[in-house]
Amino acid sequence: MNLYFSKKAFVRCMMHSCYSSLILFFIPWAAMQDTVRDDGKDIADYQSFALLAQTCLLIAVSIQMCLDTHYWTAINQFFVWGSLAAYFAVTFTMFSNGMFLIFTSIFPFIGTARNSLNQPNVWLTIFLATLLCVLPVVAFRFILIHYPVKLFPIQIYKVRKEGLPAPAPRRPPHRRISTRRSGYAFSHSQGYGDLVTSKRFLLRLPLKNAEAHAALTDDADGFDHFRLKKCNLLTKYHKVSAIFPHPSRILHNYLNQRFVNTFFK
Amino acid sequence: MIAAMMASSYNAKEEDGHHSGSSSHGGAGAVKSKKPDNTAFKQQRLPAWQPILTAGTVLPAFFVIGLIFIPIGIGLYVTSNNIKEFEVDYTGVDINSPCYSCAKNFSWNSTQSCVCSVNFTLEQPFESNVFMYYGLSNFYQNHRRYVKSRDDSQLNGDLSALMNPSKECEPYRTNDGLPIAPCGAIANSLFNDTLDLYYVDSNSTKTPIPLAKKGIAWWTDKHVKFRNPSGNTNLTVTFQGTTKPVNWRKPVYELDPSEADNNGFINEDFIVWMRTAALPTFRKLYRIIQKKSGTTPTLPSGRYILDITYNYPVLSFDGRKRMILSTISWMGGKNPFLGIAYITVGSICFFLGVVLLIIHHKYDTRNNSADIPN
Repeated sequence: MNLYFSKKAFVRCMMHSCYSSLILFFIPWAAMQDTVRDDGKDIADYQSFALLAQTCLLIAVSIQMCLDTHYWTAINQFFVWGSLAAYFAVTFTMFSNGMFLIFTSIFPFIGTARNSLNQPNVWLTIFLATLLCVLPVVAFRFILIHYPVKLFPIQIYKVRKEGLPAPAPRRPPHRRISTRRSGYAFSHSQGYGDLVTSKRFLLRLPLKNAEAHAALTDDADGFDHFRLKKCNLLTKYHKVSAIFPHPSRILHNYLNQRFVNTFFK
Repeated sequence: MIAAMMASSYNAKEEDGHHSGSSSHGGAGAVKSKKPDNTAFKQQRLPAWQPILTAGTVLPAFFVIGLIFIPIGIGLYVTSNNIKEFEVDYTGVDINSPCYSCAKNFSWNSTQSCVCSVNFTLEQPFESNVFMYYGLSNFYQNHRRYVKSRDDSQLNGDLSALMNPSKECEPYRTNDGLPIAPCGAIANSLFNDTLDLYYVDSNSTKTPIPLAKKGIAWWTDKHVKFRNPSGNTNLTVTFQGTTKPVNWRKPVYELDPSEADNNGFINEDFIVWMRTAALPTFRKLYRIIQKKSGTTPTLPSGRYILDITYNYPVLSFDGRKRMILSTISWMGGKNPFLGIAYITVGSICFFLGVVLLIIHHKYDTRNNSADIPN
């Protein structure tokens, strides 16, 4: 049904490919017109041109891969640059004297790598082609990340309007679980996941344990005290939650459970 | 329920470790934990660096690239402009050109070669080594069938391939029942014009200019890729049983009888031709004019005469032939493209950096003023 096929993404990809292909052919083509080595000998031959275009391509692809990787670990970088090093190793091996003398018709490119890759001319061409392939990608990404206002001004304004903080929490009746609407869905940042899973909320409870324990050891009408203490505890909890104005239901349940565990184990 | 799950997962790390440990030698009923080992590598906890395109990295990068590219481009352009080059088209298309009659009267069977002379003047003296090239236009040495039409084993001196060339050389593989050496279309179309250069001084005396014919091919080609078949030092004997290519006037062992290491397959003109060009307009090194000792220019300014033995027909496919005299620098021949490209790209980068800086500045000030107060 092509539900998940984005025509926009496809067209963007096609345009990027066409642009890269044109750069990777025409820059070496123009640079090799009527060019020779620095000792006058041939460099614009079929095999050297092929090697030049291929090297430009591989370096451009490696840099593009690095740009597309979100986290650069040591292993990641090792494999990217290692693959490039492997390319050069394999190329020099394939174009070596030994391979030619053993398998003559299969490896006819003998000497090409040695004779063309020691020319500064060739490396400058590679550098130019690679940069021309990579820089537009960097520029577009930078613009799209940092300046979405320029492209989508209306949407950002709407989101800002909706994201106003929820009304200040009020003391709920002690028998009912809070029916306050959860504001967690409106968080624009990473949310309070870290906070919830850290132990910071629990810091206050151990202090309250002593009070609650004291409440339990009271006499018969300590039950009212107990209820009052529970109320206090919950109030304290709500005070804590007032600092972070959008508690989640999960957080509430979790604290409730801890409260239950503490008192009714 | 969710809270219970959360509470239990609090101790997940230690329990799971016990789980997998106990179930590995557990009984048939125990479910084996599929969780990978708790190492940094397998749990994706490796130290990583996150490349984020911030204004602080991208904008300076653009400026730096611009500032690096522009001087390189200027250097390349200036170097290219300092290279001296002179070109003479001697195809003979125009009725007024000296080689018109040679071009018109060309025939494959003629025994006498046609000679024509072209006069030209060099405005500036050429210093240091001067390289003489022949250039061809509209000649597609990069046609696939043409490029494959050769036998590298035969050219490497393999005796079995000498007598039995590869199938790729068809239809230039055998002639009159004898194998062709060297076989193939590339060898068959060898460039066989002879160019001689003379300097005409003030007394109108023609002085020949010494042209070096060695050292024009790649070292690897001359010493590794192309070998004469072993056997006899007399190449006529070695190549017995083979015949010359169809379009050649002389057989391969007569390419340069005066010098043994420039005869046969290792003839440097032949090697240079066999290195097929990538583009339809190309130039190949023909001769080198060595620099003279002292301060005398290699080619002083003045009048010159180019004597051509016109053997190579190009008019049938609308090609052009020319002779090029050129000096060389560290970046090769005269090619202003790289210099211009570097200057252009550097300027665009710099300009883009400036534009992004202006946008960044404007957006930042607008962003600061539009903050909702907490």
